[in-house]
Amino acid sequence: MKSKDEAPLLSGCACLMGGSAKRRVDTRILVETPEGVDFEFVIAGPGKRCVACFADLLIRIAITGVCLFLWLMLFMFSASAFDFGIAVWLTIWFVTGWFYNSFFETVWNGQTPGKRLQNLRVVRANGTPISAAAALGRNFLRVADSQPAWFVGLYTAGLISMLCTRRLQRLGDVAFDTMVIDEGRDRIRRPIFLTDGVEALSSSECTRRYHVPERTLAIIERLFEGDRIVSEGRREQIAMLLSRALQERLGYQEPPVEYHRLPTLSTAPALKHTLFLKRVLKTFSEDFHSPRELGGSRSG
Amino acid sequence: MNRERFIRCRRDDWRQFELLTARMQVRGGSDLRSRDVADLARLYRSICYDLSLVQSREWGSRLEQYLNDLVAHGHNCLYRSPGVSLRSAASTFAREFPLLLRQQRVFLALAAGLFGLPLLVCMIVGFYRPDLAELVVGHQQLAETGREFTGAVFSRTDDTFAGQRTQMAGFYVRNNVGLAFRAYALGVFFGVGTVFTLLSNGILIGMTAGYIFYLGSPAATNFLGFVAPHSAFELTAIVFSGAAGLMLGTSTLIPGHQGRIQALQSSGRTSLALVVGAAVLLTVAAAIEAFVSPLPMPVEIRCGIGLFFWGALAVFLFRAVSDSGETNMHAPDADL
Repeated sequence: MKSKDEAPLLSGCACLMGGSAKRRVDTRILVETPEGVDFEFVIAGPGKRCVACFADLLIRIAITGVCLFLWLMLFMFSASAFDFGIAVWLTIWFVTGWFYNSFFETVWNGQTPGKRLQNLRVVRANGTPISAAAALGRNFLRVADSQPAWFVGLYTAGLISMLCTRRLQRLGDVAFDTMVIDEGRDRIRRPIFLTDGVEALSSSECTRRYHVPERTLAIIERLFEGDRIVSEGRREQIAMLLSRALQERLGYQEPPVEYHRLPTLSTAPALKHTLFLKRVLKTFSEDFHSPRELGGSRSG
Repeated sequence: MNRERFIRCRRDDWRQFELLTARMQVRGGSDLRSRDVADLARLYRSICYDLSLVQSREWGSRLEQYLNDLVAHGHNCLYRSPGVSLRSAASTFAREFPLLLRQQRVFLALAAGLFGLPLLVCMIVGFYRPDLAELVVGHQQLAETGREFTGAVFSRTDDTFAGQRTQMAGFYVRNNVGLAFRAYALGVFFGVGTVFTLLSNGILIGMTAGYIFYLGSPAATNFLGFVAPHSAFELTAIVFSGAAGLMLGTSTLIPGHQGRIQALQSSGRTSLALVVGAAVLLTVAAAIEAFVSPLPMPVEIRCGIGLFFWGALAVFLFRAVSDSGETNMHAPDADL
């Protein structure tokens, strides 16, 4: 996912230019509903939007190609029909160029086929659906966004505008108060291999009732992330701090040392805190299965 | 209530809400029965509550994200502006458009000046000094245009070359429509793009026309017959969208009391109506091109049609812009 890397970077730049130090550096936008609940939209980055745009281009080419083919099949044997055919073909290409996006965004509630493919949707900046006028206007301004003209397709002006706005809006979005949101997020799963071969804590081991919060579990996961270069000894040192605190909360009693099976150098490096954290992770992180994941529709 | 119990007893509601919003998104809610709608609203409220509960108790980012997506979807489904039927939108447009023309007559006059003045001047210059026209437009291109209009395609008025004439007409329509829409969109860059597009195309078209008139009889009459029927609508449409582009440009250049972005947004809404008007005119022009241009017809009739359209449009514009229009009677005098 290219955009996953680009988008935070871009919004980071946007934050720098915006000036406020308290702004969160990511692509999420907070919206408050009339019910008094805050929820977030994830803003689509230029990478995903570019892919969607390219898919739409291919679809337009396919549409015009099919139209030309049908026309030629119908009137193949008359001479002047060919000239008519070229005229019709160019006209369809031209009309779809100006109105393809706005048509679909109006009819499909802010999605074009390409955007649907990428799970993107155009909404107004307050989260409500886009109006026909806004769809028309924001796609008219596509020309301005793809300036300078000799860079057609690179959307240079649009990219600069996206850098400067917190909602990653191109000029058409700015003028008509819309934004493109990303609806299909990859649901991050727990790395299962981490807790392979580790047994969960049993209630007999813990004397107190305590539910380890999700935040703490996330911290434990970060400790085991593959990309950080931490030696096992160092990790054990770090883990010790958290593990001690958790053991106290849980009322965890260390099992009595079995003297007939003393750890030797070859059987067990004494990474007991690391092991304990893994066991905590195994115990408290049942994956939440949303109905969607249980085999629901991914329609949107 | 602990987390597992919470998920177990709320899960069915979430599932039902997901199905309802999915149906809503696909068909716009036309197949929802009244009970579904009532359910949708009830479920949405309860899911909002669920979300705030999960947020405050930190019951897991995955659960929170899932509920967040549900609320976002529901928000998008429930809070929509009332749907507008095409007919009511069209009638509103027909009623409001003349008013808009009057309100924005300064921009219209400016755009007409920026496009029409160089066009007329260059037409005269091109007629008397064809060498200058060749310098501006390019020798090769002018020669080719001249050859096109002297050729048999236009001289023979029967329908042997109807296909080719349509093709050429299509080319000119596309060119002009693209020009009109570009003139609008480029207005975002502080109006520079609009001014440049209007001026340069005014000069280019004017020079070419002047040169063809200089060439004399076959080319000039063919050109006149070709251009006359649709010129009224096309040139007016370019002026309309140029005015809309100037509105965008002015709002970004001189935002006044508003912020620059706010000014751009409010001018975007109003200027779009002008562009839609331009699009209507361009559609009419394209229809004329498609159905009138290929017909075998002498030049006089074509020019007659063109003159008729120019007259009709001029009367419409004059009545819309002049103060004596009937809409003025509804002006709130009582406020003064």
